[in-house]
Amino acid sequence: MKPALAQFRKEITNFYVIALINIVFSALAIAFGVSSAVTAILGLAPDAGIPFPRIGSGILAMICFGLGLSWLLSTVRIFEGIESIRDTLCQKAEDISGDQMTCLIVRMLAHYRDNRKTIGTMITVCTLAGCGFFILGINIGLHVLSVTPSGISATFDAVLLIPAMLLTLGIALASILSSYYFTGFSKVWDQRLDEIEESECALKEKLGLEEQ
Amino acid sequence: MSGRRTVYEIYWEILMYCKTPRSFTAIINRCDLNSKTGQDHIEFLTGKGYLSAVTEGGKTSYTATPAAREYIALFSSLYQKLFDAAPEFRL
Repeated sequence: MKPALAQFRKEITNFYVIALINIVFSALAIAFGVSSAVTAILGLAPDAGIPFPRIGSGILAMICFGLGLSWLLSTVRIFEGIESIRDTLCQKAEDISGDQMTCLIVRMLAHYRDNRKTIGTMITVCTLAGCGFFILGINIGLHVLSVTPSGISATFDAVLLIPAMLLTLGIALASILSSYYFTGFSKVWDQRLDEIEESECALKEKLGLEEQ
Repeated sequence: MSGRRTVYEIYWEILMYCKTPRSFTAIINRCDLNSKTGQDHIEFLTGKGYLSAVTEGGKTSYTATPAAREYIALFSSLYQKLFDAAPEFRL
């Protein structure tokens, strides 16, 4: 296989995997946001006073739900384009011609140009969602937190809450990792767009547009 | 193909598609262009000698000329070169 084709295929597959993981985790984030919000709201009822931690947790859960939804919608938009390019690459397997490969590169570049802003937003959303879910994860299991001059001590609720807490922390980790990989992907493709701009001089010359 | 493309990418796509004779409508449909832009691009390529127009029975079809092959080859080599060297995206 040509090195350029192998590289292109590898990158598309990697990005496809990241987008797929993002879809799974953003769906989990939405579900968990809703579930945490409901738990926080229902938890309000029996208390006589105003339980600030519960209200805070409920608000945070709603914010995480919103971020999760935004995360999912953005990922789906990006995923659709990548999936069709990857499918074509898989169908053609080894017998892909140079022209077909160029066609896929042009498609990918057009898709990237179309979604450049979305990817930028996703980098921010994933980072925010990661931080939000991290706080939510800690908050889920936290029963008492005391900060004294001698140190910080925390008491966590029942062992049953640990899986939920781990899941939330897992979502946080996945979203922060996604943000990291999207940043890497974006950097590489931005560099390629710059390279194309530079190489346009040769195409201009070929078309006889230099003098215009 | 749709999406945001540079004018050079559109020229390449038109020339690739016109390896066999194509009508104006087929070209603009395939390349996702409106008729005004499509007309401008086709006129430009015809003017530069990359496309030849043949009218038969009142219908005009466009075919890429041998000169277009040079443009296609240059374009392909420039775009494939993007993946020959760094940078690369890895997990």
